[in-house]
Amino acid sequence: MAANKSQGSYYTLFLVGATVLCAGIYLGGGMGKLLLLVGAIGFIASLFGMLKVRSLEGPTAMKPGPGAMKLAGAAVVLLGWGITLFGMHLTPSVGGRIITALVGIAVSLFGIVVVLPGAFNKNAVWKS
Amino acid sequence: MKKIRSWCLGLCILFFGLAGGVALYAQGAAPAAAKAPSTADAELAAAAAKAPATADLAKGDPGGTITGTISDVPAADSKVGVTLPDTANQVGQNKIAINFVWTLVTGFLVMFMQAGFAMVESGLCRVKNANHTYMMNFFVYTAGLFSYWLVGFAIQMGGAAGNGNLGGLQSLTPEHTFTLFGKTWGMFGGSGMFLSGHQYDVGVMVIFLFQMVFMDTALTIVTGACAERWKFLTFAVSSSIMGAITYPLYANWAWGGGWLSQLGTNNQLGKGYCDFAGSGVVHAVGGLTALAVCLIVGPRIGKFNRDGSSNPIIGHDISAVLIGCFILAFGWFGFNPGSTLGASAAGNLRIGTIAVDTMLAGCTGTLGAMLFMWIKNGKVDASMSGNGLLAGLVAITAPSGFVSTVGACIIGLIAGVLVVLSCSFVENVMKVDDPVGAISVHGTNGLWGVLSVGLFADGTSNYGGSWNGVTGSVTGLFYGDASQLAAQLVGISTLIGFVFTLSFLINLGLEFFVGQRVSVETEIAGLDLPEMGQLGYPEFVFKPEPSVLLNAEKSYAVA
Repeated sequence: MAANKSQGSYYTLFLVGATVLCAGIYLGGGMGKLLLLVGAIGFIASLFGMLKVRSLEGPTAMKPGPGAMKLAGAAVVLLGWGITLFGMHLTPSVGGRIITALVGIAVSLFGIVVVLPGAFNKNAVWKS
Repeated sequence: MKKIRSWCLGLCILFFGLAGGVALYAQGAAPAAAKAPSTADAELAAAAAKAPATADLAKGDPGGTITGTISDVPAADSKVGVTLPDTANQVGQNKIAINFVWTLVTGFLVMFMQAGFAMVESGLCRVKNANHTYMMNFFVYTAGLFSYWLVGFAIQMGGAAGNGNLGGLQSLTPEHTFTLFGKTWGMFGGSGMFLSGHQYDVGVMVIFLFQMVFMDTALTIVTGACAERWKFLTFAVSSSIMGAITYPLYANWAWGGGWLSQLGTNNQLGKGYCDFAGSGVVHAVGGLTALAVCLIVGPRIGKFNRDGSSNPIIGHDISAVLIGCFILAFGWFGFNPGSTLGASAAGNLRIGTIAVDTMLAGCTGTLGAMLFMWIKNGKVDASMSGNGLLAGLVAITAPSGFVSTVGACIIGLIAGVLVVLSCSFVENVMKVDDPVGAISVHGTNGLWGVLSVGLFADGTSNYGGSWNGVTGSVTGLFYGDASQLAAQLVGISTLIGFVFTLSFLINLGLEFFVGQRVSVETEIAGLDLPEMGQLGYPEFVFKPEPSVLLNAEKSYAVA
């Protein structure tokens, strides 16, 4: 099964929920909190609705990969950013900050170029 | 004798009375003399008297010499006529009007780039996915615009008050901040949701339109990289979230008064992070998000063989690709020169230099990619030449406001070669399938563009005497300021480390809830009928796909 009426309905609910949620944030006060709650419920309900109809579709050309490795890859990428930010406070010298920024970028790139593709390609369907 | 004395006394009283009356009259007249027309007002009155009469104008003005005179300057008091304050107010409004019109028209050009993206991306896809790819490019405009109006603009520009080019935008306040190590850093805007309340303002509407079309450009980059297998529902949800959160957050940090723009004032790193028109904010954000989604959604069926080697999957319409590239190059004249947010005052006459820099970088980008492919493969590769043009344009986007024409040529040439190398690396080393090369064109070269500001900015630009609150002109390493390079590297690290991770986690969540990829059945049939209910070209007869792809599809169908 491909695109269907349920998908359209749940995307509409997603948009309505997001709009009401934003209206709640904008208005504030008692009415705002009420709208915030209603919007959040609609938003979350739309996601679970999409989850429900997802199972109606056929299999995809993908195999589940190691989830922990994917999250670890994301953590490595984020760590690189942390190194760069930490480096800004570690040293006041421009040269020192350039070096720490380059180290941070290298760590992030390692996560993107090595760890994450490794995680997603480990059980890649084209390998079998 | 007594009578004569009485007459003399009477005459004296009369004389003094007349003298006193004259003096009093003179005192009364003195203030009137102070209110007399000044020289300037007198000149204005004289000019008004010489202005062409209605009868003159009725005869027509073929030479354009009598249209637009002092008669067209509105007077606050019609009885007094045009005064110096009236003239000064009109000059001020003219400056803002010029800047409004400039920003709006260039924004319209950027909006038209959506058509270019649609043609490039669809042309590089197979014909069975043409409708789906066009439709993604069409709907991303709506999805992005709506979510940007809801909350995205508020996050990005909700604290960006103080832009003199557009009249101050004073209603866009406050910026939410946090304090770290004794310094205050901007995080996200605090006003502008639904463009309501104090943000119902003429200047705010102009900046909304301009920033919105930039945001939409970033969103449409992802659709190309994930084409031919991305589920439409997931694309719609993902694009809505990107337009509401991912893009606006980084754009605030760079353009909305956020912490990256404060690296100069807070950390003495050059003029802070400088991204004139969005190599980082627009293109790298789009390219890195495309990479994140591409990793999750996986390669198309038949793209990679069992040994890891890749198969070319040829697009269906190279003419659409090249015409689309030209449309994009045309739109780029809105992208870069428009980012001055004005054509009048504050150094904005540099728009000519910016436009020429843009042309030249696109030119050398094309040369770099085309010659590299010609020398390497013996043939000119049309699609890669197009990508070279786009790569040059992407790379010059950040530095276009700060570099010379020679710098622009070098930046574009490097981008043209870089895009070819990057496409090969992404496909053959990372095993990521990007049908249109969007990750390399926008991601890799977006980052190169950000870096090049820190190298090639020549210190000649002067946009009102300061940039990001730091006095002076943006100057890169090659012109003596290494600290600007440091600021650019922090920006690059934030793009790779934070923006990529945020996009990755959001789309990993969507993979769980919605599922990123269409079913095998849908993918083999082509996404047009299962996802759109209609073929892109229903009356065409298509030749079968290459055997390597057919065999791969058969093996999946059997499995």
